[in-house]
Amino acid sequence: MSALLTVAHGIPALLAEGKDNPSADFSDTPLWITVIKALFIFVYLLVSTLIVIWFERRVIGRMQQRPGPNRNGPFGLLQSLADGMKSMLKEDVRPKAADALVFTIAPLITATMCFIAFAIMPMGGEVNLFGHRTPLQLTDTPVAVLLVLAIAGVGIYGIVLAGWSSGSTYPLLGGLRASAQMISYEIAMGLSLVAVFLYSGSMSTSQIIGAQKNLWFIVPAFFSFFVYVITMTGETNRLPFDLAEGEGEIVGGYFTEYSGMRFAMFFLGEYINMFTVAALATTMFLGGPLAPPGIAAINDGMFNEGWWGLLWFTIKLWLFMFMFVWLRGSLPRVRYDQFMKFGWKFLIPATLVWVVLVAFFRGAQNGWLGEGGVNFFGRTFPVASLALVGVVAVGALIVGWWWDSRAAAKEAAAADAPQSSIDPFAGGHPVPPLPGQTLAEPTRTAAAIRSEAVTDKEAIRG
Amino acid sequence: MSNAPGTGEAVLFWILGPLAVLGSLGLIFAKKAVHAALGMALTMIILGIFYIAQDAHFLGVIQVFVYTGAVMMLFLFVLMLVGVDSSDGLLETLKGQRLATAVLVLGLGGLLTAALGSVTYPEPAGVKSINEETGNVSAMAELIFGRYVWVFEVTSALLITAALGAMVLAHRERLGKGRNQRDWSKRRVLRGEYVAGLPAPGVYARHNAVDTPALLPDGTPTPLSVSRVLTARDQVTTPERYVEAEDRIAGQIEEDSSR
Amino acid sequence: MSAAVPAVFEAVKVDYAAIAPMLVVVGGALIGVLVEAVAPRSTRYGAQLVLTLATIAAALVALFVWAVPHKAVTLGQSLAIDGPALFLQATLLVFGLLGVLAMSERFGGKSADAFTPMGASSPGSPQEAAATRAGFATSEVFPLALFSLFGMLIFVAANDLITMFVALEVLSLPLYILTGLARRRRLLSQEASLKYFLLGAFSSAFFLFGAALLYGFSGSSDLKLIARAITTNSSQMNGLLLPGAILVLIGLLFKVGAVPFHSWTPDAYQGAPTPITGFMAAATKAAAFGAILRIAYVGLEVSRWDWRVGVGLIAAATMIVGAVLSVTQTDVKRLLAYSSVAHAGFILVGLLSFDGNGIAGVMFYLVAYGLATLAAFAIVAMIRQGGSEATHLSQWAGLGRKHPVVAGIFGLLLLAFAGIPLTSGFTSKFAVFAPAIHSGGTMGVLLVVIGVLASAVTAYVYFRIIVLMYFTQAPEDDVVALTPSVATTIVVTVGVLATLLLGIVPGLLLQLAQDASTFLL
Repeated sequence: MSALLTVAHGIPALLAEGKDNPSADFSDTPLWITVIKALFIFVYLLVSTLIVIWFERRVIGRMQQRPGPNRNGPFGLLQSLADGMKSMLKEDVRPKAADALVFTIAPLITATMCFIAFAIMPMGGEVNLFGHRTPLQLTDTPVAVLLVLAIAGVGIYGIVLAGWSSGSTYPLLGGLRASAQMISYEIAMGLSLVAVFLYSGSMSTSQIIGAQKNLWFIVPAFFSFFVYVITMTGETNRLPFDLAEGEGEIVGGYFTEYSGMRFAMFFLGEYINMFTVAALATTMFLGGPLAPPGIAAINDGMFNEGWWGLLWFTIKLWLFMFMFVWLRGSLPRVRYDQFMKFGWKFLIPATLVWVVLVAFFRGAQNGWLGEGGVNFFGRTFPVASLALVGVVAVGALIVGWWWDSRAAAKEAAAADAPQSSIDPFAGGHPVPPLPGQTLAEPTRTAAAIRSEAVTDKEAIRG
Repeated sequence: MSNAPGTGEAVLFWILGPLAVLGSLGLIFAKKAVHAALGMALTMIILGIFYIAQDAHFLGVIQVFVYTGAVMMLFLFVLMLVGVDSSDGLLETLKGQRLATAVLVLGLGGLLTAALGSVTYPEPAGVKSINEETGNVSAMAELIFGRYVWVFEVTSALLITAALGAMVLAHRERLGKGRNQRDWSKRRVLRGEYVAGLPAPGVYARHNAVDTPALLPDGTPTPLSVSRVLTARDQVTTPERYVEAEDRIAGQIEEDSSR
Repeated sequence: MSAAVPAVFEAVKVDYAAIAPMLVVVGGALIGVLVEAVAPRSTRYGAQLVLTLATIAAALVALFVWAVPHKAVTLGQSLAIDGPALFLQATLLVFGLLGVLAMSERFGGKSADAFTPMGASSPGSPQEAAATRAGFATSEVFPLALFSLFGMLIFVAANDLITMFVALEVLSLPLYILTGLARRRRLLSQEASLKYFLLGAFSSAFFLFGAALLYGFSGSSDLKLIARAITTNSSQMNGLLLPGAILVLIGLLFKVGAVPFHSWTPDAYQGAPTPITGFMAAATKAAAFGAILRIAYVGLEVSRWDWRVGVGLIAAATMIVGAVLSVTQTDVKRLLAYSSVAHAGFILVGLLSFDGNGIAGVMFYLVAYGLATLAAFAIVAMIRQGGSEATHLSQWAGLGRKHPVVAGIFGLLLLAFAGIPLTSGFTSKFAVFAPAIHSGGTMGVLLVVIGVLASAVTAYVYFRIIVLMYFTQAPEDDVVALTPSVATTIVVTVGVLATLLLGIVPGLLLQLAQDASTFLL
């Protein structure tokens, strides 16, 4: 199956050209337009945050068959605004044992870092803004995607420092949990993005979008998408991975001691982080501001141009938001050790193998593993790719067979194992068998007791 | 093409440069280890920004990503875990060491400043032209996988050694079975100490918290009842005022009844 | 970066034959790590030992069969596989072989005697005892030793400062770990490890600082290009050259334990497991002197008049301090440590002659000293009192009466350290002092005078030990020399034979060293 997926014809062989610089053209963008764009991003994110809080509560309400917020404004739309105002006016409490400086800095780090990563997200095509042609993107660099990861790395400081500076145990545990979780999941996240870099030949977002003109990377890099979506949930501390603020265990996690505006900053940061990771997923796998396949073909790509991009970008972003809410509405929290085990023992090695595979496919596409192709449905597939798919498929079959036979052997062993038998009436009262135990053949006396017991019960009932 | 820094870069430098120096001074002089680590993180982020300002995009981002985001964070992680009840001894164990250090440091600093200050530097080559022709990341990759591929590969030996060393020095395999609740209680009885377990923290009419020690029958607080961590953090309250309040109330009741 | 990057990626040319020994060693180390991961615990010691010895032997074969006929500067100037590199690599591999044999000594126990059963358990804890009972062993020491050896092999061949730095770290990191794994007196061992690590990191920082300055001076980290830049650059840049050269040399002199950068030596030598001390003393010194030779003769030779006097002063201080402080020592391992400091000084004298014979002399000295040291520490590991090593000098009193052979061999090795004729110590001292007098100028002569005086002082120390062993009544009766296994016997035999042979017929090896004493550029 993956042969179909990996042969992406439209991907330009950027590697061969050795060009990794951004393709977005900022030559006609004076400083004041950049400032306007920055302001726009700021407002876009703030408004989106206000809406998404309302959206989340309403959707979860729906899922749980209750109305959700519906008092402030039409459909309760102004609820988040009211909550925000309340936070601002609330008394700001700082524990006596807190480290004053760090306690103040921590929420600021979280709230400022979350905005920065959005600077490199392409939100639309080139538009005419006050007489200048400029891309709907604040900036782009050859290492734009790495920049997002780096900013996320700095953002963790906010959480860790909040946990430490509160001078209290639960926040410390929450902070440590959060940072351990984010660092471990950032590894798998970075690895999953490597496949995209391999396909696009660049780490600049505008180049990545350009490389997806014909085929979104969700198809050739499907496994990366799968891993990315899991890690992005872990990275943003959202259910089912919100262990850093597991109420049942450690109260509120790192922000237990925070209140008022400082707490609101964490809240804001968390939601904007959701938008950031979703925007990155959109850019990396769903073609960012590109129109969906059918629509893109209309009128010679009319819907791919200019301001239309913003619409597609926003729609894709909100699809991810809905997914976040859906997950929260349907899944329970996982256990911490299982979560870590999953990250380190499955996601990271599996993604590593995947990246190596993708590298081979790219090599086959570039003809490094031998020339020659096979035609299917008008597309040419390199022989090497097909051979690789064959090898992978056979490997998967063998592993699957081995796994199955091992599981079967285990089951058989478990079935054969001499099960310890218990006498259910050893203590005078009937005791049900535990897993792995069987009931001993009842002795005569036991039977007598049982019949007695039954009659007793029935007597009571009767 | 001139590579002299533009105004923007100059402004950036003169704002962030002093901050970086402050951060590094904080690393040396901060009393709390976490503050020192933060100072270092600040300095490293600013260095990353400087690299980016000088067109070394990849280097700058990796500086922030790897050093600040991962290495420094792990460092902080450990600091926070071990930092609860450890304190730095500021006692000078070698006599006159600080004075000698200061003299030597100033001497070395002075010599290096004098030597480096006397250099007339040629026009910097810069990486702008490479960025435009080859691309920053590609050019970096060509060096890493070309000229310096041996060093790059040998570094992996370093990482494997580090991992192996961490396992050797820090991984304790469990030998035999761990003690369960029953074993602990048996052990307590055998040793004859704390047969009923350690005393629970104090419970008073007005206060009920883990940071208040329980009182022994003779009225003295027992430190056994509060967590070692709280003691180390100096967060244990004395129960005296509750005892006094209790006495006062008892006295009042007596007075009332005698009236 | 200023060097133009080619438009199309070009893979660097690799002369696989020339680097085959290194590939074999690192391959063996990696397999060793895998063995550690999958082999059952009971088979690990044997498997690791066989694997490690086979790896080093295979590397030696590869060196003579493939690398020697393929002298080349390869991997894009990263490595120079030339005469001195090959000579020292062969030396290091032999040291590695003997070192691993010494490490494998069990003295009849279940696992290697010198190493703790579990490095992570607290010293003296019940867990440590349980690990001993369960027959645990830190068999990771073998792959670690191989990694260290790998770093050393690169270190002597490194032709640019970056490779040299990475090699320095690769060789040091496993040694820091190995130092902390002693079975007995573990707190001392861990302290030694920490000290070694901190000071080693410090010296790496010096090296890196100097390398950065040299890079700023020449625009390249290649030794060849640095040498070219020294001749072509205008004097305006000289403010970078001298500090850079000195800082790089300081970083390397740390590793050989030259005064005033020697302070880690006695502690690390004393605390480390004794076979590791022997390996460290012999191999690290050889590797570090290999790197210093290359830096001094290839990279900075043109500017030698600027830094020669400084290094000369260091050499003088090293000889004097090493000799004088060894007089006051009461612990055999510390004494040998200070003696190694003094020997570093002697070697520096030969190095400063800037002459082909000087290079040959230094390499000859490293071989002679290394083999004697390995044997000496193997013997130190055998002398026991109540199970633990008897390293205090008073415990050695009267040893010659109880164990005349062991004491006799140790005495012979001490005579070699002192530089008595008919031992390798004399010929090797002659090999470094002669070129210093011949082409070292006034400073060379002065250094040789100091060297001879320092030798006299150390000779006093060694004779004192011999007197102690043979002409003193033993105060305690339970100091014994354990019966060594074949492995230790081989190490001691090779050491003793080499000491005698190199003392009586040094010509063969000296000729070999002289033939190998030209650097490739």
